[in-house]
Amino acid sequence: MKPEDMDAIFHALASSHRRKVLDVLKAMPGCNVNDVCKYFDMSRIAVMKHLKVLEEANLVISEKSGRSRELYFNAATIQLIYDRWTTEYSKFWASHVTDIKFKAENRKRKHARDD
Amino acid sequence: MPETTKQIHRIIINASIQDVWDALTKEGEVLPFFFNSVLHTTTLAPGAPMRMRSKDGKYTGVVGEVLELEPPHRYVTTFKFTNFDDPPCKVTHQLKEVEGGVEYTLISENVPVGTKTEKQMQQGGHFITKTLRGLVENGKAPVSSRLILGMISILGWMTPKQCLTENWPMEKKIQ
Repeated sequence: MKPEDMDAIFHALASSHRRKVLDVLKAMPGCNVNDVCKYFDMSRIAVMKHLKVLEEANLVISEKSGRSRELYFNAATIQLIYDRWTTEYSKFWASHVTDIKFKAENRKRKHARDD
Repeated sequence: MPETTKQIHRIIINASIQDVWDALTKEGEVLPFFFNSVLHTTTLAPGAPMRMRSKDGKYTGVVGEVLELEPPHRYVTTFKFTNFDDPPCKVTHQLKEVEGGVEYTLISENVPVGTKTEKQMQQGGHFITKTLRGLVENGKAPVSSRLILGMISILGWMTPKQCLTENWPMEKKIQ
């Protein structure tokens, strides 16, 4: 992988809108541009622009299906980033601490609801 | 009909298309990217049975049928884990020559949502694209994959009886 390819990935990820696009595609694999637009207060053209950046970074795969396009989140690209900076050992402990974080924050939310 | 899902994993591999194809379809050789299993078939051609067996041939982890074969670009099979009772899904491997190497795309389709197969596939997709890339580019599986492969060989004796090869003969229709 060339350094520019990594630049493209991080540039694509450096936008809250584009990260949200990935959330949408992860939840609805194979959805189309119109489906994605429903989650944003921006024009279709703006959404398409974000999708193009994500596609160029290999974070989104778009497949022709008849007259429309199906969109997929490509988790293999995130895996490349993960593999570069994670080892078997750090993976174990790092996922342990994030696990505790998510559990504790869930508890906090639950307490807030109960109060 | 249960709801099904489709996932696509894509990665660029810095190697020739023939090397990637060979790594993907070598029959009778241990395929580390495929959890150290060995591909067994009658002849690798559409309609032929596909079995992924352990090195000693005792266990069969994945069964299916070859649907399409276009060397060195396309390899499509039905796919079923023998340890789950889920119906078979469809797995497509696509290779395309691009600038900087070969674009490898792994598509899993008709995977029933919420099943064990779906969960296994999500983890498997990462493992396959990553390990295959390491193998073809550097001649060996990445460290993280090697550790998992080591675990698999240790856990061999834990494999359920359902996965015994005698339960999955070549002539058995998969549905």
